[in-house]
Amino acid sequence: MTGGTKSVMAALTLVVASALIYGAIHAFDPYTVSIIGFVGVNIILAVSLNITNGYIGLFSLGHPAFMTIGGYLSAILVMAPERKAVMLKSLPDMLVTQHWPFLPALLAGGLLSAATAVIVGFPVLRLRGHYLAVATLGLIFIVQSFAVNLSGITRGALGLSGLSALTNLWWVYLFVALTIYVCWQLKHSSLGRTMLAIRENELAASCLGINVARTRVLAFALGAFFAGIGGGLWVHLVTLISPNSFTFLMAFQLVVMVVLGGTGSITGAAIVAVILTISTEFLRPVEEAAGLFGASQMIVAVVVLLVLIFRPTGLFGTAEPDLFAWTRKFTRRPDPSHGSQP
Amino acid sequence: MGSAYILSQIVNGVILGSMYALIAIGFTMIYGIVRLINFAHGDIFTMGAFTTLASLALIGLPFPVALVVVVLTGALFGVVIERIAFRPMRGAPQVTGFIASLAVAIILENLLVMTISAQPRVFLVPEYLNRLVSTGVITIRVIDLAIVALAIVLMIALVFFVHFTKVGIAMRATAENYDVARLMGINIDRMIMLAFAIGSGLAAVSGLMWGSKYGQISPFMGLLPGLKAFVAAVIGGVGSIPGAVVGGYVLGLSEVLFVGLLPPEYSGYRNAFVFGALIVVLLVMPNGLLGRNTETRA
Amino acid sequence: MLRIEDVHVRRGGTHALRGISMTVNAGEIVALIGANGAGKTTTLATISGLLRPESGTLSYARCAEAAPIDIGRMRAEQIVQAGISHCPEGRQVFAALSVTENLRIGAYLRHDRAAIDADIADLQTQFPILRTRANVPGDRLSGGEQMMLVIGRALISRPKLLLLDEPSLGLAPQLVEQIFDILERLRREGMTILLVEQNAAMALDIADRAYVLEAGKIVLEGTGKDLAGNADVQRAYLGAA
Repeated sequence: MTGGTKSVMAALTLVVASALIYGAIHAFDPYTVSIIGFVGVNIILAVSLNITNGYIGLFSLGHPAFMTIGGYLSAILVMAPERKAVMLKSLPDMLVTQHWPFLPALLAGGLLSAATAVIVGFPVLRLRGHYLAVATLGLIFIVQSFAVNLSGITRGALGLSGLSALTNLWWVYLFVALTIYVCWQLKHSSLGRTMLAIRENELAASCLGINVARTRVLAFALGAFFAGIGGGLWVHLVTLISPNSFTFLMAFQLVVMVVLGGTGSITGAAIVAVILTISTEFLRPVEEAAGLFGASQMIVAVVVLLVLIFRPTGLFGTAEPDLFAWTRKFTRRPDPSHGSQP
Repeated sequence: MGSAYILSQIVNGVILGSMYALIAIGFTMIYGIVRLINFAHGDIFTMGAFTTLASLALIGLPFPVALVVVVLTGALFGVVIERIAFRPMRGAPQVTGFIASLAVAIILENLLVMTISAQPRVFLVPEYLNRLVSTGVITIRVIDLAIVALAIVLMIALVFFVHFTKVGIAMRATAENYDVARLMGINIDRMIMLAFAIGSGLAAVSGLMWGSKYGQISPFMGLLPGLKAFVAAVIGGVGSIPGAVVGGYVLGLSEVLFVGLLPPEYSGYRNAFVFGALIVVLLVMPNGLLGRNTETRA
Repeated sequence: MLRIEDVHVRRGGTHALRGISMTVNAGEIVALIGANGAGKTTTLATISGLLRPESGTLSYARCAEAAPIDIGRMRAEQIVQAGISHCPEGRQVFAALSVTENLRIGAYLRHDRAAIDADIADLQTQFPILRTRANVPGDRLSGGEQMMLVIGRALISRPKLLLLDEPSLGLAPQLVEQIFDILERLRREGMTILLVEQNAAMALDIADRAYVLEAGKIVLEGTGKDLAGNADVQRAYLGAA
């Protein structure tokens, strides 16, 4: 594709996507629209978790911690000072007077999460494999206890309710596009290849002069940035945040999306995020009707086990399947899978 | 703060430590032999608590019989989970096993939610276990003494088994090197199964103790004690059974004293304290107090 | 005692053994020599059941009267039970187990407690180091001491056939002499030994017969003396000009 057709294609995609979002907002009922919103937020979260868990091979469960940080900060920044005076009486004056628009508040939430990731990352990212997983799981509980106990800022276990429903499909899919764009560029940049090199052979990578520690912290912080934004979008979609909004269960669901999609595959993570979010929503009424609460989570967990046993590389491995191959009838589509282990 | 108060805090710490230690032993045994952090271990603990409740309240078994039933049920759960979920993944990257154990944990929790609902249940022990014993300085319940005594007996039995029986030695050999163990004629599948059985049985007993001590159980009760027991195992040195015991008591005591001795506004940071300690220990002494060389660091 | 016919083994993606055939007769020391990667260790691992052959037969009879059994499909534990003991490459003592525990685990499949104790005492007499350092963890022994321990651990299962992988690796020359003396003594006591060695000169010197393995195939066979005199062998493995 030449540069010209590329920009034409990009413009075309933008127009079609905008039309779809516009159509969705006006054609569907608010419930369906909110599900489409959750689908988008989950895409942001899963694709960004893939930066650490997929590209650089750091198994992190810390996303909910960063979502909590981003969620609280954006909620507090966006909230009107009059409401804060009622709801958060002992909030520091510096924060009471702030009344930010949505976009900068979201970005601020993302940046605070990223900053936290940098501070936590330098010591913690030296751990390997499942030790890192447990340490990041611990991070969820640490952030949670701060959310419960710093009640001057967070209103403790009650959480902040009645937030403005600022998150609409435009914001969500703007950030979906941004997340996928950044992750795609990253994966195909020299930094992305550096990360893959670290994942494949850390020792060899450091022998090549790669600063492993710094690259890891960078990946962790980038993932945390999008998690913070995802948290901000989420809480302004459900109009509520509490210390229990984002727990280890959320970490599990996100890890499932990454693992099932193929660790390192943007397309895979995004597709599974869509399927999982929609099917969970569909199963919920079934679950309630049958009185079998927990059945949907159980089904997901069983599927995960089966995938791990029979197709450990996930749907796509690290590859990005060409979803538009069918538009070019005469070219043969290469097998996207790397095959399963013998 | 009187000395009686401090003493009773220490006693509480020892009780909590006993329960952590029993869970941590299973973590460490399973990690030692298959290099798996078994996230579902805390749910075996939960299963133990519910099995006790069922044996006591539903079937009406005497407490000591219920104890045996709980150990056997826990062991059975461990063996079945290993066979179905973990054995097919042997040899895969370590993180794969960890994700599988997360999935198993979710399955077990939801199984309980589906069958007996997410509501917490009252857990009653026989009257004679609730009687008070006064030692002059402090007064404690019989069950508190029983918990500590049982934990110590079980730990001594385990150390004896692992060090002085042929099967125990074979288990340690398997933990070290599968191939060489096979060349000695050891069936490693059986050893792994045994490690899961023993570790899970101990976790189930710990669940029984937890219910007896705190009087309430729920399907999600295992999450935090399970994770904290992992912290205990790390403090002691993952893979080392004496380390798990020491780590359990160190963590139980310091957690209780953290809450009991600091001003009340800090007590909410209990979990932050425990997981902060985990991160610090992993960084400062990755082999823990008693561990051999491990591979925590990247 | 052991007859291997046309055995193929794949290991990972590579075709490590490409149809090897060899025999080991009772009471013999048979040496298997060859370069790194020729398939010597793979051969031993296949005999002891750590690896499965893709095709071919491995038949083994523990004594002249016994009917030969097919060990190609048996599990490693069953093969130990049948009387084959394998000392793997790199010594591989159990580092966390004490010296005595290492010996006891060698007798894992035996149940005659008193006889095991007697055998351990016997070994401690032959190798005094096993007594003086009985309670020391295995990894605290020196390389030569570890080799003694590994041989002792293999003998305590009372094998009929001993598979030895590179016993001289990384040991000082006088220790290597000592190890070969032990092998000589074992042969006098009626043990059958299949020996894999880098040190081809010593291996051919002690061996009744020998095989040369190259890229997964047997390229030469003969008595130890014949092969030691063979010009190709001298050039490739004995460092002759």
